[in-house]
Amino acid sequence: MNGYIPISNFQLALSVILVLLTGLISVFLRLGLLKPLLWGTIRAFVQLTLIGYVLTYIFQINRLGLIIPIILLMCFIASREATRRVSRVPYNPAWSAFFSITASTFVVGSIVVVVIIAPDPWYSARVAIPIFGMILGNSMNAIALSLDRMYSEIHAHVDEVEQLLCFGASPWEAVVRYVQKAVSAGMMPTINSLMVVGLVSLPGMMTGQILAGMSPQLAVRYQFVVMIMVAASVAMGCVLIVILSYKQMFTSDQALVESLRKN
Amino acid sequence: MTSLLEFQQLSRQFEQGKSIRASGQLISDTMLAIRGVSGSGKSTLLKILARLLRPDGGEVFFKGRNWVDIPPQEWRTRVHYVAQKPIIFEGSVAANLQLPFTLKIIQQEHSFRMEEASRLLETVLLPRSILTQPAQTLSGGEAARVAMVRALLLEPQVLLLDEPTAYLDSDSSRAVMGLLTEWLEGSSRGIVIVSHNPDDLKELPLPVHWLDLESELRKS
Repeated sequence: MNGYIPISNFQLALSVILVLLTGLISVFLRLGLLKPLLWGTIRAFVQLTLIGYVLTYIFQINRLGLIIPIILLMCFIASREATRRVSRVPYNPAWSAFFSITASTFVVGSIVVVVIIAPDPWYSARVAIPIFGMILGNSMNAIALSLDRMYSEIHAHVDEVEQLLCFGASPWEAVVRYVQKAVSAGMMPTINSLMVVGLVSLPGMMTGQILAGMSPQLAVRYQFVVMIMVAASVAMGCVLIVILSYKQMFTSDQALVESLRKN
Repeated sequence: MTSLLEFQQLSRQFEQGKSIRASGQLISDTMLAIRGVSGSGKSTLLKILARLLRPDGGEVFFKGRNWVDIPPQEWRTRVHYVAQKPIIFEGSVAANLQLPFTLKIIQQEHSFRMEEASRLLETVLLPRSILTQPAQTLSGGEAARVAMVRALLLEPQVLLLDEPTAYLDSDSSRAVMGLLTEWLEGSSRGIVIVSHNPDDLKELPLPVHWLDLESELRKS
C-alpha cells in the first residue's frame, strides 16, 4: 500500500509548462483564454495547497465537534453554488437547496462512513471528509441541473400547466410530468457514469488510489461503494429539491406565480 | 332565474398601467357577453374569474358563496375556463378527452363516457374517426372544437369562453354555438363569453346580457 511515488517541487513546476503551452496556443488563436487560464492555475495551486494543510490539521485533531461544522459549511457552499447559475427562478432556492443537499449527503454519507467503511473511530475525519466531499460535488451538480430543468420546463409549458389547473388539477398534478423530467435530468450524468465506468474512464478516486499504491481490486471495491452512494444521494437530493421547490411556483390560490407566467 | 356568478368591483392593473374595473352578474340559462376593444382586459377578466390571476380588489360569488370560501380546485371544476388558443396535449384525441378524468377531483365526480364524447364531436362536425388521430396533427379549428368538447364533458356549471370561434370557419362556428345553446337551455348553467363577433351572439335563441368593458375602462 505504500508504493506511491511522491511528486517533487521540480516535477510540480514541470506540470505548469503544459499550462503555458496551452496559453501560447490561446494567444496564437486569439481565444482570450491566457488570463483566465493563468488565474485558474494560480487559484487551483493556492486552494489545493491550503486545503492540504487544513486537511492535515483536521485529520490530526480528528474531533466530531470540528468535523460536523466543516461538513455543514461544505454543504452551505455547495448549495449556494448549485443555485447561483439557475435562471428564471421566481424566488431564492438557496435554502431548499441547502436542505436537500445536507439531508441527502448526511443520510448517505453517514451510512457509508459508519456502516460500510466503519473506520476507528467511527467519525474518522480522514474517511468522512473526503467521502462527504465527493457526495457533495455530485449532489451540487445534480441539484443545479434539476432546478434549472424544472423551471425551464414549466416556463415553456405555462399554458399546459394552466390548462391542467383549469381541469381541476392540484398543483402537483399540474406539474408532475415536468417534475419527472427535472429529476431524470439531474440523475442522468450519474446514471451515465454508472454505465461506462471502467469501460471509457477510470474514475479519479480509483486512479488516485492505484497511483498511491493500492491494488486495483481493492481500489475497485472503494470505487463501487462511492458510485453507488453518489447515485443514492443524487436521487435523494433531486427528489427533495423538486418537492421543496414546486410549491413555491404556486400562489395560495393554486395558480402559477406571475413571474413564471410572463415570457 | 338564479344568480350563478356575481362579481363586484373586480379590479386589476395590467400591462402598461392599464386597469380594469368590472361588476357583473351571470344568470342561469343565459350568456354574459363581454364586449370591449382589444386590450381592454376581456381575457384578463376571464382569467381572474378562473382564479388564474388574482384581482387587486373586488369580490366574486358563486351561487351566493364568496369565492374565498371555495377551494381553488373545486372552483375550477365548477367555473371552467377555455382559453382562446386551444391547449392540446401529446397523445390521441381520445387521450386528450380522457386526460382530465385522470385527475383525482374529477374521478370523484364523473367518469369518462366515450359515447357522449363521440356524440359531442359529431355535433361540432368532427368524425368519430378523429378519436384515434394524434392530437398534435389537428388543425387549429379542429383543436379548438376538441378543446370545447373536452370542456363540456367535464360538466362545469359555468363556462368561461375566450373567443371560442376565433379559429373556426362559419359552418363549424355555427355548430359550436349551436352546441353551446343546447348545453345551456334549461340546464341551470351559464356562460361568460368574450367574442370578437357580437353579431353571432345576437342571433342566438337565448338571453344574452352584455358587459361593456370599454366603458368600465374609461370610468377607471
